[in-house]
Amino acid sequence: MTAKLAGRRWPYVVLTGLVSGAVTWWAIPGLDRVSAPIVRVHAGNDVGPVLPSLSLETLVTAPQAKVMLLAAAIAFLVQLYSTAYLKDDRRYRSYALLIVLFLVAMVAVVVADNLFVLLIGWEVMGVCSYLLIGHHWERADARSGAAKALLVTRIADIGLLLAILVIGQTYGSYSILYATSAAGAETPRNATLIGLLLVMAIAGKSAQVPLQTWLPDAMPGPTPITALIHAATMVAAGVYLMAELLPLYASSAVAVTTLGVVAAVTMLSAALFALAQADLKRALAWSTVSQLAYMYAAIAAADPDAAIDHLVSHGAFKALLFLGCGVAMHAVGSSALSDMGGLRRSIPVSFWTMTAGFAALAGLVPTVGFFSKDGVLRALSEGANPLPEPVRQVVFAVAILTSVVTAAYAARLWLLTFSGSPRPRHAEPAAMVVPLVGLAVAVFALAVGHHLDVGIGTISTAAAVVGIAAALWLRGRRPRLARPLERELGWDVLFSRAIPVVTNRAARFVAYADDAVVDAYPRGGAQAARGVSGLLARWQSAKAQLYATVIAAGALALVLIAVSR
Amino acid sequence: MPLVLPLLLSAGLFGVGLYGALARRNAVLALIGVELMLNAANVQLVAYDAWLGDRLHTGQVFTLYVIALAAAEIGLGLAIVLTLFRARGTVDVDDVEPVA
Repeated sequence: MTAKLAGRRWPYVVLTGLVSGAVTWWAIPGLDRVSAPIVRVHAGNDVGPVLPSLSLETLVTAPQAKVMLLAAAIAFLVQLYSTAYLKDDRRYRSYALLIVLFLVAMVAVVVADNLFVLLIGWEVMGVCSYLLIGHHWERADARSGAAKALLVTRIADIGLLLAILVIGQTYGSYSILYATSAAGAETPRNATLIGLLLVMAIAGKSAQVPLQTWLPDAMPGPTPITALIHAATMVAAGVYLMAELLPLYASSAVAVTTLGVVAAVTMLSAALFALAQADLKRALAWSTVSQLAYMYAAIAAADPDAAIDHLVSHGAFKALLFLGCGVAMHAVGSSALSDMGGLRRSIPVSFWTMTAGFAALAGLVPTVGFFSKDGVLRALSEGANPLPEPVRQVVFAVAILTSVVTAAYAARLWLLTFSGSPRPRHAEPAAMVVPLVGLAVAVFALAVGHHLDVGIGTISTAAAVVGIAAALWLRGRRPRLARPLERELGWDVLFSRAIPVVTNRAARFVAYADDAVVDAYPRGGAQAARGVSGLLARWQSAKAQLYATVIAAGALALVLIAVSR
Repeated sequence: MPLVLPLLLSAGLFGVGLYGALARRNAVLALIGVELMLNAANVQLVAYDAWLGDRLHTGQVFTLYVIALAAAEIGLGLAIVLTLFRARGTVDVDDVEPVA
């Protein structure tokens, strides 16, 4: 019955596999291209404004190839996983096709050399995330979460559009390669403006302060979609964009400091929110926000490679955690931490793979999370970067503190999910387990070949150990500090109350002005026309005798005039 | 007989006829008004004929001509009124809406 409703699943998996395979085939040669090709930059400053153009030029070098491989792999695993997760879903077809579209849009963002093509992919991803977050649109929270995601990201997208226009005005081209080459060849111009507009764009897309609240509210979406959005697409696009366009704004201390401060505030607050959460999925969402802030901190410290590295590593372990969270939800029927506990026996494969995922999140030593986070910390610890010195020190300190908190919430979530007395639960389906195992292998395999920095590694391991110890100590207690953190410091009040009130007032004023001022003129004109036509209509009485009387009176008048002359 | 007397009679007849044609609601009476106006013209034709002393009596010939024409016209007009009455059940000109 349900199979008939939903149709067959394997064609969609095969389709995704083909698209992923093509993307992989395209990306692999790019891995060896370390630097972008040099383009010749026109001399002179009077390039002036250029018309918006679309060109299908692509550029695949090492960072692009890494992000493409990540997106292709995660999209395929998510599609495979979804065959079991959405077993009884009647809208599976649109869901599966949207995942493919999501992947294609992400690839478009990554490979495009033209900024407008990038913008198209960026917007298509926004729409896909809206549709997929609202997949269960029968539920009010899914509808409002999807609308919130769309509204917040669209508002931030204004920043990207303006940034693209400013880049075009400044460099006379909408090609990323040309603009970055030109910025490298001479002193970059309009760096502060471009940087600040880009920070606005990524704050929305990657849910950074002050636009961070949409990502946790997008949790009513299907869990595989959450994994896709959080690991490989959507939020990752912001990191990629910021890393790719770094040469355009790196010379501006204001822009880089803004990015660093946004990242520092976001990483710590989001990690604390994750620590206090009572819901596994929402806690993981805050964890994504916090980890993305790490990547932005690395970019602010002018190390985009560390950011992309952490993006890939985070993509692997966060997809693993979300997919594992989906298995746990499938087993329990809820995502509340209070309903979990004792899942160790009932879903053993998920337990072991998620343990690897939590270890990577906490930054424990053999996992890729340890190495990529150390890359970020190393970038922040070095003195020679564009961040002003006190800001760099503060961001570095915040990053260390955040890794303590990160380890604490990872340990807390792990304990609350798996420890405790086992209860009878649903088992884990095979289609869900295979992606988990693949990702768990990746969490260790990706660590191969990373450089080990003993100093930073010691600090971060110490931080992780402190955090885990704190989690063990905090277990079962609820300190007074937890209450404001559970409410997420009331950030969302700004969006759910203050902004709607202002918007409603403004809308009412505009409606009043439109009604009382603007519409008064056409309405007055209409009334005057109706009055005049009413007067004229009196004469059009369709009474032949009246007409004849008028004719007779006219003839008499003419005769009288003629006679009297 | 001075010319002014038949002309005054003609003007009076014409005025009464015009009023009848324009103000009467009954179609038959409106037609009679038209008839009065035609006869006012006839009176003038005869009067000028006598006053000018025309030997060919053009005015009188015209008058006979107009009488014949008026007879034909009233015949046609009454036929229309009759058809109207059969079709609409009234001969009140205000009640006859145009067939648009």
